Amino acid sequence: MRALRSDLRLAWELTRGSDRGEWWRVALTATGAALATGFALAAVALATLRGSYRVPVAAGLLDEPGTRSGVIVGLLLLLVPVLGFLGQCARIGAAHRDRRLAGLRLAGATPWQVRRIAGLETGLACLLGSAVATVFSVLLLLRLWDRPTALAWAGIALVAVAVPVLGAAAGALALRRVVASPLGWVRRVGPRTGRGPGLLFLAGVLLVAVLALLTVATTSTAAPDRPTGELPLQLMGVVLAVGAGAVWLSGATAKATGRILAARARSAATLIAAERLRDDPWAAARTHAAVLLVTVVGTGFAGIRQVLSDVVHTERNLAESASYYTTGLDLTGAAIVVAFAITLSGLAVGTAESLAARRRGLAAQVAAGVPRTVLGRALLLETALPLAPAVLLAGLGGMAIGTWYATLSGRPVPWVTSLVPVAVYAACLLAAATSLPLLRRSVRPGELRYA
Amino acid sequence: MIAMSTRHVLLGLLATGPSHGYDLKRRHDERFPQARPLAYGQVYTTLQRLVRDGLAEVEGTDSDGGPERTMYRSTDQGADELSRWAGEIAPPAPFVTNEIFAKVVVAILAGGDPAAYLNAQRAAHMERMRELTAVKAAQGADLATVLSADYALNHLDADLRWMSTTAARLTTLTAEVDAA
Amino acid sequence: MTRPVPVLTATGLTKAHGRTPALRGASIELGTGEILAVTGASGSGKSTLLHCLAGIVRPDEGSVTYDGRRLEDLPEKRLSELRRTEFGVVFQFGQLIPELTALDNVALPLLLAGTDRARARARAGEWLERFGVHGQQDLRPGEMSGGQAQRAALARALVTGPKVVFADEPTGALDSLAGEQVMTALVHTARESGTAVLLITHDAQVAAYADREVQLRDGVVTALGVTA
Repeated sequence: MRALRSDLRLAWELTRGSDRGEWWRVALTATGAALATGFALAAVALATLRGSYRVPVAAGLLDEPGTRSGVIVGLLLLLVPVLGFLGQCARIGAAHRDRRLAGLRLAGATPWQVRRIAGLETGLACLLGSAVATVFSVLLLLRLWDRPTALAWAGIALVAVAVPVLGAAAGALALRRVVASPLGWVRRVGPRTGRGPGLLFLAGVLLVAVLALLTVATTSTAAPDRPTGELPLQLMGVVLAVGAGAVWLSGATAKATGRILAARARSAATLIAAERLRDDPWAAARTHAAVLLVTVVGTGFAGIRQVLSDVVHTERNLAESASYYTTGLDLTGAAIVVAFAITLSGLAVGTAESLAARRRGLAAQVAAGVPRTVLGRALLLETALPLAPAVLLAGLGGMAIGTWYATLSGRPVPWVTSLVPVAVYAACLLAAATSLPLLRRSVRPGELRYA
Repeated sequence: MIAMSTRHVLLGLLATGPSHGYDLKRRHDERFPQARPLAYGQVYTTLQRLVRDGLAEVEGTDSDGGPERTMYRSTDQGADELSRWAGEIAPPAPFVTNEIFAKVVVAILAGGDPAAYLNAQRAAHMERMRELTAVKAAQGADLATVLSADYALNHLDADLRWMSTTAARLTTLTAEVDAA
Repeated sequence: MTRPVPVLTATGLTKAHGRTPALRGASIELGTGEILAVTGASGSGKSTLLHCLAGIVRPDEGSVTYDGRRLEDLPEKRLSELRRTEFGVVFQFGQLIPELTALDNVALPLLLAGTDRARARARAGEWLERFGVHGQQDLRPGEMSGGQAQRAALARALVTGPKVVFADEPTGALDSLAGEQVMTALVHTARESGTAVLLITHDAQVAAYADREVQLRDGVVTALGVTA
């Protein structure tokens, strides 16, 4: 216990004494943790409901078990981009932090102590976010629900504790190599992100998927004559398969584009971008993974939405009012937009971090007369090149879902949805472009002065 | 700097084979290019002392078309003495005696201007270092030249560092005296 | 002593980092083809002086004239072009892009100048050979020894045939033998091509490669051997 307390104090001192980048990491990690807690709490609160209720929000969508389970799955799916965002946040100042923790190792800390300290650093940030989100969620819940059941309270407590604990565990696990070879990391010059954090992300996604399937299986008491219990499962499967394929594709295309373009590049910007991709193709795979999942879901949903609203507006013999269905569709759409916004934030954070980590080298390039525009173009190309084929495939996957659904309902194929991947791609480039002002500001000759 | 033992250097040159006095002088100046050149008279007296001590002996005479010259060669005793000397550790700076050091101390004692002296000396040192560097960096410089230039450069550099530190100390000292 | 015609002249440079003054009225003259060493204690403003002279930062006051042009009158875009084409810079480390091979790093300035890739790479290869970087052209800077990487950096600084090379502690991260090789390569090439070199160093043995030396003390340039 005393050991834990001294580690806690050390973690606190390290965070307190660190620079601005570290505080950004803490703030963004806390934000991500708060989002995760919020979504998870809503899902848990809904999951504790059994049978029919009158819930005064969302046009009666939360009243019935079937649609309720759909909402829960949606909330859980929102955790995927949040995880991607948290992964990007973990990268902020990663090289610096790794060196610092390796320094602790060299100063005589045991591997476990270093792990605990790193875990606590991340865990504290997550605890902050989770605490804030829990307080606000509980306040909101008490306004909507007079007497939440004991089960609901238990679930809320579980989520509030689980988020920081999982965050701490992820923080400790991501340190594998620092702990193994402190010297190597102290000497390392440039940051080279490995696939470890990417695997953590995938593990997180799988966890969410399993939870979502469990939710569908336990809360949705679908009647045998209605296919609602089957359909979400199949959709889930398609989404996961396409998503996983897209992650792999993102890394693989980054590698391939890097290799091909590096040999053929005619301009300096392309050459720099290509060689960076070839050097570390998995660096961006985490954010790109989330982008691709959102693209699949978004394109697929756009197709389904078009078909469904067509159905709602033409069929006369519907069980519920048209607003019941459109609210459901709008809610899902809103969830996807939120997911996309979180993903874009992750992308922007990742680009900014990659710039910040390289600022001294970039300052040297500017000093040697490499125009900032060339460096900026290289930065954008680094996002644009590997994302293009991956988004294309993800878009095709999403279109396949829409087309499949349209043929199932005997409606025309929703071609308009092909615009979704284009819009996603453009938005990603814009998100990456938000770091360009940072390039101008952070690449200063002051960075050239060494102590 | 520790004085080089001419005796042992000549013994070392003789270790490669019999040689006469003029040849020894020429080879010495070649091997130690930045050293003070040996006087022929010094070579001659040193060789005679080596013979007297049984470290070298007269091999014979050789005219080679010109004037007659005495050839010398190293004895076994000479070879033993040479290897003993070569393995012997040179005492690391047993006495601190240096002209620059002495001048600065005297300047302080006599109320002179040691800082001005140090500055001028530094310029002279740098000038010599530039000369030596040019010799060393010239294309086709042989190993002996590079080694001797390196040796001299490192010693001049050591002098310079001492002079910089001393100049800084003098500044602090002056500031303290002025403040008092 | 006759001095060559100045290629770069600076007068009355002042520059402060925040409230800390780095330069307080420094003036300096670099002759055409001259190798000039600037020495001084750490924190004496050496790097800041180099940054001002190379047009990397703008001085608070004072003027830098290169080839008849006043650098403070040029917009950033022209300055950047000047640094790319007429100046070369070598730092202690970090001027090579870590992800590019040695060959591509050296070819980069040519590529930026519009030379096509194949020609740029061929020229870069010749320069690497000239600096004794044999058989390591396809290595990245991190895979090379410090001395080899620094020689590649020299090749990159000189590949465009600049008029002035600015070298800030170019041997600072090297052992004495590697440093000697880098300095010999720099001096030989500069003399051959008539390139002027402004060499910043705190090491007297490195400064001895220069034709002349000035000292920077408290942000002011003083000639060597003259009492401040």
